[in-house]
Amino acid sequence: MLNNPILRVINLIAALLAAGAMLYVAFFGVSPLPALGPAFNPSTGAWTMAADAVGVGNQTLHLAGLQQPVRITLESDGTAHVVANTDHDLFLAVGYLHARFRLFQMDLLRRTGEGRLSEVVGKAALDSDRFELQLGLLRTAQLEWAQASAVSKMALTAYAQGVNDRIDEAEREHQLPAMFTLLGYQPRPWTPIDTAVVKGDMTQTLNFTDTPLVMALLDKSLGPDLTSKWFPLLPPNPQSPYDPGPYPTAAAPAPIASMATLTDQEAASAAALYQRLASLPPGSIATGGASNNWAVATTKSASGGALLAGDPHLHLTLPAIWFQLTEDSPGYHTSGVSIPGTPVILIGHNEHIAWSLTDAQNQQTFFYDEKEDAAHPGQYFWQGAWHSYKTVSYDIPVLHGATEHLTVKLSAHGPVINERGLTTTVWWAGNLPSQDLDVVLRIGQASDFKAFRDALRDWYAPTHNFVYADDKGNIGLISAGYYPQVAKGQPWLPMPGTGEYDVTGTVPYADIPQIYDPPSNVVWSANQRQVASDYPYYIGTASNFFDPGYRANEIHRVLSQDRQLGATDMMALQTDTRDFLASEITPLLVQALATDQLSGGEQQVREMLTNWDYTMAVDSAAASVWWTFWQDYLAQTFDPWWRAQGVKIDKQEVIDMLGQDLEAWTLGDPSNAAFTPPGGPTQTATDVMRKAFHAAYASLKADLGPDPGSWTWGTLHTRVLDNLAQISALSYGPRAERGDANTPLAAGGSPSNHGPSWRMVVDWGTHTFSGIYPGGQSENPASSWYLDRVDTWWSGQYATMLTANQAAKSPGAATWKLQS
Amino acid sequence: MGGRWFGFVVVVAAAICCAGVIFGAWWVTFLAGAALGAVIPARLAMPAGSLAGLLAWGVLLAWEQWRYGLGPAAHSLAAIMGFTQLGPVVPVVLTCLVGLLLGLTGAWAGAATRSVVFSGQSASSR
Repeated sequence: MLNNPILRVINLIAALLAAGAMLYVAFFGVSPLPALGPAFNPSTGAWTMAADAVGVGNQTLHLAGLQQPVRITLESDGTAHVVANTDHDLFLAVGYLHARFRLFQMDLLRRTGEGRLSEVVGKAALDSDRFELQLGLLRTAQLEWAQASAVSKMALTAYAQGVNDRIDEAEREHQLPAMFTLLGYQPRPWTPIDTAVVKGDMTQTLNFTDTPLVMALLDKSLGPDLTSKWFPLLPPNPQSPYDPGPYPTAAAPAPIASMATLTDQEAASAAALYQRLASLPPGSIATGGASNNWAVATTKSASGGALLAGDPHLHLTLPAIWFQLTEDSPGYHTSGVSIPGTPVILIGHNEHIAWSLTDAQNQQTFFYDEKEDAAHPGQYFWQGAWHSYKTVSYDIPVLHGATEHLTVKLSAHGPVINERGLTTTVWWAGNLPSQDLDVVLRIGQASDFKAFRDALRDWYAPTHNFVYADDKGNIGLISAGYYPQVAKGQPWLPMPGTGEYDVTGTVPYADIPQIYDPPSNVVWSANQRQVASDYPYYIGTASNFFDPGYRANEIHRVLSQDRQLGATDMMALQTDTRDFLASEITPLLVQALATDQLSGGEQQVREMLTNWDYTMAVDSAAASVWWTFWQDYLAQTFDPWWRAQGVKIDKQEVIDMLGQDLEAWTLGDPSNAAFTPPGGPTQTATDVMRKAFHAAYASLKADLGPDPGSWTWGTLHTRVLDNLAQISALSYGPRAERGDANTPLAAGGSPSNHGPSWRMVVDWGTHTFSGIYPGGQSENPASSWYLDRVDTWWSGQYATMLTANQAAKSPGAATWKLQS
Repeated sequence: MGGRWFGFVVVVAAAICCAGVIFGAWWVTFLAGAALGAVIPARLAMPAGSLAGLLAWGVLLAWEQWRYGLGPAAHSLAAIMGFTQLGPVVPVVLTCLVGLLLGLTGAWAGAATRSVVFSGQSASSR
């Protein structure tokens, strides 16, 4: 063919170059393509997701470490029922089960908390990794493991064994989830510390806050006077605390009116740290909770037994944060939902009690500006002496990059997380070892409120409102966790780190918010402040630490009605879309418009509002008008102040607090000076409401057309379930959705990606247990168990939570026999 | 080399590729192509290598389709790779293309090496 030797050599060079290029792409991939060889191998690559997606049948599996045979029944929707003869085997089987269906999710969760994301996704995750290693989830997890009880150690070790059994099996049989193949790495063995880190992820998401930094920046820009008036210690609006007192002592909380003035240096440091935290991935900072739970005693129950309902609101992801199962062994008989990566049922019921939880929202994050000077390099001044920072070093492997070396400095308060300007450290309750796993194990074995309450004594963070109902008809609610108290100072701002302002302790367990079998026969929580104004301890300000209270007010309103309630009422309340704030403000708006000059279209809209039932239904045009009006009302009131004062904080970040102010002023102080813009003519609430209404009408007409009847809420408001790996094509939605940020069916923002992550209703009178979560049991997007529960959840329906024996007889059930 | 002999060589090479791929050794496709390039005439090596690679990966993909159905998996893979607009055919084509290119480049490299290494011997024997 090629007779010329030079051409032959050229041909060889060309061939080797082509072969080299092909092999490089096949071995290593070229962005956005993964390593093509292993990824597209039809038998062992990402295509194996097809085999994993076909569902499961009856199988006999061999797992190393089992003491006795275990049976797992899988319902037709993947709900799992583990029946083991020993507690050890129960947790081992749960570990196997989680890893079988959620291994990539588990790996992602532990990598996030351990600062190892960059290793698999590259330098894009480096900021997150640095922050997590500074914050210290890994250090706390190591301490928790070292201090764990014997029972916890048994559970964690067995669980890790089960996960590793599955990793071994998946590698042996080329069944690793496709994301591992596509990202080109294999999961390292699971350890008990990984489980503690996953728990830490949740703690961080729920209660690591930047609110003191926000307050500092507001203080600097708005000034101490306006900040203390608009961002007060106690909520200015009417709320429904579940624990009305009486309280143990009569000490009054310190007033926020004496808010300190920050120096420029303090404010600059706060701004730098605020910006850093704002740039972290979603979930790194708690951004306000939104969960509901309540219980109804027998006196008000139509079935004669206590009722319990719980719907924790979280970032809605695919796969979901929850995995549904029942756990049966000699020591445990629990049913509910678990977090993949952890061996326990966090929300559910056993044979005698049911429980659910919401975030308690009290302040658990405190910032300290450390005192340093040039004469004492590497030291900080604390309690009258100079101390050297302790240091911890980490290596962060980076995909396609050099390994990053990170040294974390620790003061007596906690890790240094900012050195731009002042050196800022953070005292965070999530950094205290908290044996939450042990607590949940004991809750799972509790049969009465005393055992339940005793178990929660050791729960430190994140603080949660645990609702309780038992088969004897008793109900209760306890907001378990640490309530840090400082020696002096203003903990809602960054404080000096010299020692006088340190956290000195927590509210005694007997004094934390709690209630048992109250005369009202109902208990409820929805992230509202749990206690009334005369509670003697500081637990956080009204600004952001606690919910504005509209969901709690609505839940309280419904539960307080003079009638018997049943499980269907609980379900209806979980999907209630009545906006309590709208029910307070809309009548005043309609009244204000009665004497205003309105166009024909505006008259039509006013009529619409007059006849509205305050539900944020998908087909409601009044809902669109209300929501648009309220946003304009906030803007008309506060934007002039924001501009005049040069406030750098995004108004949306503090919109809950501003909304409470606006609500309170509209209802009780319509001449408040805030309605008059700086340098502008005097205005009242009525004036601003009218302006906001005209603006809302004009914008809706411009956006949605001239016919107000067509301005349905569903055209403005949607929901999306985000793919956990941020692959938008594998997300669900956006789809028109009811509700808003204020309704029990929480759906703040649009598209809303936060909401009821699990809905559970328990009726001890009929012994019926119902639950549903959006998503499915499998993380495999090709599996029918990836999305199969979404429509049921969306329509407000529930699935019956079966026992293992019931499940075994259910249509389409499969059984796995696990043997050593 | 006749057509039947060519077909036999391709099938044998494809079978070797299949065995490698099934056990995770996808690079066997490249080696099989290189071996073809080294032992059969250059004008046939590259078609044979390409066909063997395509056949092996295509047959195994068809086998997975027959056993499990690849529709949802193809949709998911297209989504993960960011090819949602182009549809599920992308990962299927890409998979076949990988097999084909591994076989082709292997055969080309084998044939080119052979032509250089044995060029002196050919000249002297003439």
